[in-house]
Amino acid sequence: MIRYYLLIMGIFLAFGLIPKSHRLMNALAAGNGLLHLVVSWVALFMLDLPVRLGESLYMDHLNLYVELITALGFTAAAFYARGYTDSLMEEGELDPKNLKTFYLAFNLLLITATVALFSDNLALLWIFAELTTVCAAMLVAILSARENIDAALKYVFIVSGSMLFAFLGLIFLFTLSEQALGEGTLNWTELSVHVSEFSPALLLASFTSVFIGFGAKAGVAPFHTWLPDAYARAPSVSAILSGLMQNLGIYGIIRMYALLRESSAAPHASSILLAAGVFSIALASFSMFQQRNLKRLIAFSSVEHMGLLLIGIGIGTRLALFWTLFYMLVHVLIKETLLFSAGVLHRQYRSNMRENMWNVFKLQPRAAWSLILGSIAIVGMPPFPLFPAKFFILLESAAISPYLTLAVLLMLILAAASFANFLFKAFSKVTVEEENEKDRHMASAHVETGRAELKTPTGKADYDEIRLPNQYIVRSGMRVPAVFMLALALSLGIYFPDSLRDLLDAIILELGYV
Amino acid sequence: MNTSFLLFALLNPLFALLAAPLYMSLIRKVKAYAQGRKGPRLFQVYYDLKKLMKKEAVYSPTSSWVMRFTPYLNLSTLLVCSLFVPLVFVPEPAGGLGNIIVFLYLLALERFFTALGGLDAGSAFGGMGSSRSMSLAAVIEPTMVISFAALAFVLKSLNLHQMFALTAGKILPISPTLVLVSISLFIILIVETGRLPVDNPATHLELTMINEAMILEQAGKNLALLELAHALKQFLLMGILINTILPVGLSTEIDAGKIAVSAFLFLLKAGLLAIIIGLFESAFAKMRLFRLPAFYVMAFFFSATTILIEVFA
Amino acid sequence: MIDPLFLEGIIKILFVFVLISAGLIISTRNLSSILTSYTIQSFLLAAVSFLLYLIDGKSQLLLLAGLTLGSKVILIPYFISRIEEKIRIGRDIHFTYLEPTTSLMLSIGLIILSYSSLSKIFEGLPLSKLFFFGAVIGLSLTLMGMLVVFSRKRVITKALGYLSMENGVLMFGLFVTELPFIIEVLIVIDLIILVILTTILAVGMDSSIEEYREKVRKLQIWTGGEFR
Repeated sequence: MIRYYLLIMGIFLAFGLIPKSHRLMNALAAGNGLLHLVVSWVALFMLDLPVRLGESLYMDHLNLYVELITALGFTAAAFYARGYTDSLMEEGELDPKNLKTFYLAFNLLLITATVALFSDNLALLWIFAELTTVCAAMLVAILSARENIDAALKYVFIVSGSMLFAFLGLIFLFTLSEQALGEGTLNWTELSVHVSEFSPALLLASFTSVFIGFGAKAGVAPFHTWLPDAYARAPSVSAILSGLMQNLGIYGIIRMYALLRESSAAPHASSILLAAGVFSIALASFSMFQQRNLKRLIAFSSVEHMGLLLIGIGIGTRLALFWTLFYMLVHVLIKETLLFSAGVLHRQYRSNMRENMWNVFKLQPRAAWSLILGSIAIVGMPPFPLFPAKFFILLESAAISPYLTLAVLLMLILAAASFANFLFKAFSKVTVEEENEKDRHMASAHVETGRAELKTPTGKADYDEIRLPNQYIVRSGMRVPAVFMLALALSLGIYFPDSLRDLLDAIILELGYV
Repeated sequence: MNTSFLLFALLNPLFALLAAPLYMSLIRKVKAYAQGRKGPRLFQVYYDLKKLMKKEAVYSPTSSWVMRFTPYLNLSTLLVCSLFVPLVFVPEPAGGLGNIIVFLYLLALERFFTALGGLDAGSAFGGMGSSRSMSLAAVIEPTMVISFAALAFVLKSLNLHQMFALTAGKILPISPTLVLVSISLFIILIVETGRLPVDNPATHLELTMINEAMILEQAGKNLALLELAHALKQFLLMGILINTILPVGLSTEIDAGKIAVSAFLFLLKAGLLAIIIGLFESAFAKMRLFRLPAFYVMAFFFSATTILIEVFA
Repeated sequence: MIDPLFLEGIIKILFVFVLISAGLIISTRNLSSILTSYTIQSFLLAAVSFLLYLIDGKSQLLLLAGLTLGSKVILIPYFISRIEEKIRIGRDIHFTYLEPTTSLMLSIGLIILSYSSLSKIFEGLPLSKLFFFGAVIGLSLTLMGMLVVFSRKRVITKALGYLSMENGVLMFGLFVTELPFIIEVLIVIDLIILVILTTILAVGMDSSIEEYREKVRKLQIWTGGEFR
């Protein structure tokens, strides 16, 4: 089945190489996203899950759910990409020759991610996860500026290097199955049947190596170092897509953890997950504090959320997993809102830095508001659905250790404070001068010498910008996805649909949590 | 002390003493050919030594007894060493002779006194050479220890006589690991005898000298003794290497014919090795002094992995 | 038929040379020598799987040897050498975090580490000593490759470090278990794609060619943290 899928998609990609106009390319990309969305939607309702199609295609609720999230994110990104890439090309930052590559990588990323999700064979999952890294790196490097290339290479080396460790883990698993079954296999379904016969030590070793690989993909500290660069230096669309790929990593970890949940290695695996989770949250929240770069702030917030997801998985109870899965969905919705708005702000100020932003409400009121709302949502304020998710995960974590809960809570507060700090400082300025003024008072020694001489070269550039406030015109279609995602998140916070609950319950049941 | 050992104690050092200088000049000859020159006569080193022997030793007024003592000590140390390495035949082990640790310490003693002698003359070059030699020794010594340990592990003995009794007469090395150990030994040979790319024995250029700098102030008889000791050291290390990798023909019995054959074969094998060394030296340029530690660490890494694999696999 | 013990002895020697080649990749400054070390390493790997074929007689090992020879000894090194010519730099003399001497010492530690951890993990497995040690070498090769990725500045060298990591994984797989051949093929394809991508990007990073400098100046806007 996967072969047919790849064949069809290959034809689609070849077809996608033909059009010359941006509009058509973009429409194809959006169509691709929508197609995946619709097909997996249909599959979710029509098929009797879990189902095995052909040799290696396996569908159950979990991978369909993750696929739905991914496809949703892609579709939104495709709508946004139109205006965004247009303005990139207008400024001469994106070479129009690279546009085709951009969309090729865009579509390819969705396809490889889909295959990775739906393959029953772990080796296929591994290889296609590797390919998603390649595609995402291409998207990050698309501007072919040194910084982008640097970020892309960092991404490739860290993630692919760690993925090699995951492959070591697969070899362990293969050996285990060879011992237990006589013939080696890497199929999830077969492995999960025989997992009780495996040796716990080897199973734990294999979990650890797989965790290193997929943890790096998910951007878990200490393998997160690619993430801030990829977010901050790449264009927003690419950042969104590599952010989406983080879910793939979490998916692998959920599967792997569910596999060894029954064996005696589970407590060790849990503690690995919890330790990595707490470490990620701690590192992220302390890096977020005083962060002056908006996209880096968002990136570290991603690391923080991945840490929380790991804790949710590591707790290992039904309830925690339920909210973890829900968290994955909401996180994507809100993260995209934030990145969409940050992209608009970057177009406006040509910088992600806090001190370069001024008079935001006048210049980009909508982006500012969606950024504010998104920030409120991402730190987990009540009307938004991250609140119950965080709440229940933390509640469950208290069963392991109340100190863990307390520590995580404190760090979450720190993260929230960092967002507030950033927004206050960035959005309350009407002119650039204000913050510079403050800096001068701190540097004090030079203050007396008078204003005129104080214009450093950068200060001067800022001054010129004040004189010529040219507003960046947000293109049509760039606002829609942000508003849509935010609205979806908000409605999920107010009303929790039964069908979603059933879906999540089904996933948990299939993973073997009783 | 049995008769076999007495015979060995008589023959082996004599053989080493007589043959050692030959290979100094052979290597020079090979290098000369590689550079397109004709080179000195094959027995040039013997003539040089004879000439030096006739000359009187001149001492710097600042020097002490160390400088007078060093040449004798070095030569006698190496003569003792030559009792450790069987060249003409392998005797029954006797006493502590042949112990690999003692052998290493004797070499260290020689190195130490050479450095002291270099310092003693009070000249700038001597001091420089000694300091360089000592700081490099600190890096190469672990490599030496670990290579000899690997040798001892593979041949299951700490005694060189017993080790080579095991390999004697075989055509090929008894374990593939010995090939690796031999590479380590070759590096040690190059380093210990101060050859390219580590040190250039043919130069008196102040910036690059290490070994030559330490004996720069020695003259006459003393210089001859030091040169002879140096040649002997090289010969003995060559002997260990040859016995490890190509032990063919080495006799274990006391039989005039067999001993003669074994000595003759050894001369041939040593000649081959000398040619290899000469070619090796011609192929490399002198390394910068600050690069040397990296080179030594590579050698160390090599021997360490060898011993790891030999011990664990 | 050749004596298996003798073959095992040869394999042991190859192990040492594999590790030495990894050590060279860590410590050498000359780019083309690093590439040569990698090529030799891959060749040694092909030789190891060929020798294992001689011992075991499984045709899959022969295929693997051929695959390794074709892709990693010929194709990838050829491609990288083309890139090296293109970027016109010959040396990688910058090291971050670790100097070559230190990293070599560290590698010995890594070998011992992987030995001790694997001996715990593989307690129950019926692996022969040689095969177990092959796994140890594979793991340490992976870790040493990681060291290269960490400590080298040039992208080309990093890529070679990654490739050497991959060699380690291959070696590990070779000795621990027999993966289906199709997986090996897929890995090689993945590797080739990665190599192509990274080396093309490397042209932008490592190059001393003037036109790339131009581009960099133009797009300083994306610098983020450093830009004010």
